[in-house]
Amino acid sequence: MVPLSRTTSLKLLLRSLTIQGSWNYRTLQGTGFAFSIIPMLLRLYRDHPSELERSVGRHSGFFNANPYLSTMAVSAVARMEAEGAEAEQIERFKSALVSPLGSLGDRLIWARWRPLCLLLALLVFVLGAPWWVASGLFLALYNAAQIALRLWGLRLGWKEGRGVSRALLGSPLRRLPDRLTIPLSLVAGAVLPPLALAFGGTTSSAGPLIVIAVALALAAAGYLRPVIAGRLAAVGLILGSLVFVALEKTLW
Amino acid sequence: MNYLALALIGGLLGLDTVSCAQTMISRPIVAAPLAGLLLGDPASGMYAGVLLEIVSLYQLPIGAHLGWDTGPAAVAAAALAAGSGGGSVALLMGAGFGALVGWVGSWTVHVMRRAGAGFAANAGRDPMTPGSLTVRHFAAMAVDFFRAAILTLAALVAVTWLTSGVGEAAAAASGAAATVALVCASLALGVGVRSMAGGRSVVVAFGVGFAFSALVSIWFH
Repeated sequence: MVPLSRTTSLKLLLRSLTIQGSWNYRTLQGTGFAFSIIPMLLRLYRDHPSELERSVGRHSGFFNANPYLSTMAVSAVARMEAEGAEAEQIERFKSALVSPLGSLGDRLIWARWRPLCLLLALLVFVLGAPWWVASGLFLALYNAAQIALRLWGLRLGWKEGRGVSRALLGSPLRRLPDRLTIPLSLVAGAVLPPLALAFGGTTSSAGPLIVIAVALALAAAGYLRPVIAGRLAAVGLILGSLVFVALEKTLW
Repeated sequence: MNYLALALIGGLLGLDTVSCAQTMISRPIVAAPLAGLLLGDPASGMYAGVLLEIVSLYQLPIGAHLGWDTGPAAVAAAALAAGSGGGSVALLMGAGFGALVGWVGSWTVHVMRRAGAGFAANAGRDPMTPGSLTVRHFAAMAVDFFRAAILTLAALVAVTWLTSGVGEAAAAASGAAATVALVCASLALGVGVRSMAGGRSVVVAFGVGFAFSALVSIWFH
């Protein structure tokens, strides 16, 4: 089997950064997946141009996964190609990976890690830190994890090959989203009072206790009626802004 | 800062949102103060970014879901907030205008993805050279870059008109603006928590964090 050299793995990693670059409604990340795996295909089929073109075309079909875990799929498929697996087998394997990589990655990154990092940064800011500390903290925390996840996925995918789904199910990463739920909720709760005082406390004639209590009641309403409250918050912000712009332009 | 340069930055931020690397420099909490810094007022940019961030927190990019295009939105929010002289009214106007730009941005992304599907009609079936696939891939990213840059430029042109003559009497309405900001942020935070996680333990943990933070905040207020 062709080994995975440092150069090739670096190329796979860098190319996978753009796996969503040509996202579309037909193949989703398909073109990006094919683009990411090209360095390995070039090594394998350098002397067989027609086979190379067939494999590039084949890999540009439907694929979707969480972008940060996509390195795992790319390296696992690269290993299968290096082992000389059948094209149909590889296609079935890719299809089977879509669901676990999407589900775990989305729960871990989009629903837990990113909001946790954002809320921590917001908390630091509303407690009085300069803006660059808050922004820097968010970027450092978030990117340390996403880079580590990409590297881990690349290694695991190549090591396990077609057994990567089983390895993923047995990894501690699977339980991580549940473990982040409580810290995320704690930080979200902690953000609300200083945020309410920062936005409403300075200009309101009501005391800080009332401002914080009103904010809590509104957050509870948002939690209990998320669909209506989400629309209300977004539309309220846009309409509120437009009303103030109109008043500024016409009345004042 | 030249608006054209800001538009190019908006294009790069647009790429970061989905197409390239996703380092999250396109999040309002990062992009808005940076744009504000380039315009000479990072504080106004940050406050508008914080409000925009909280209201967009519950938009999780799962599957084909399209949230606001936060990069151009953050630049627009910072430009309007900074151009309106700061304060609660500027904060609300900036964040609200940013949300509008972000919403329009998500619609342009939808159009771009639908057009992309047409180009990928035979993908997975026909053989393809690595070169032609690479060209197709980078062409899609270039389209995304120019889409975000043009959107940012259009938003900045609108900001020029919106900020002319604004600001003199803004203080009179600052209480009302702060109230609207507080209502939107609090509602959105509750929605955000529900969209990320739910259940009794979440409510208890939220309550503990809130109670501790409320005591500290009132103590130091």
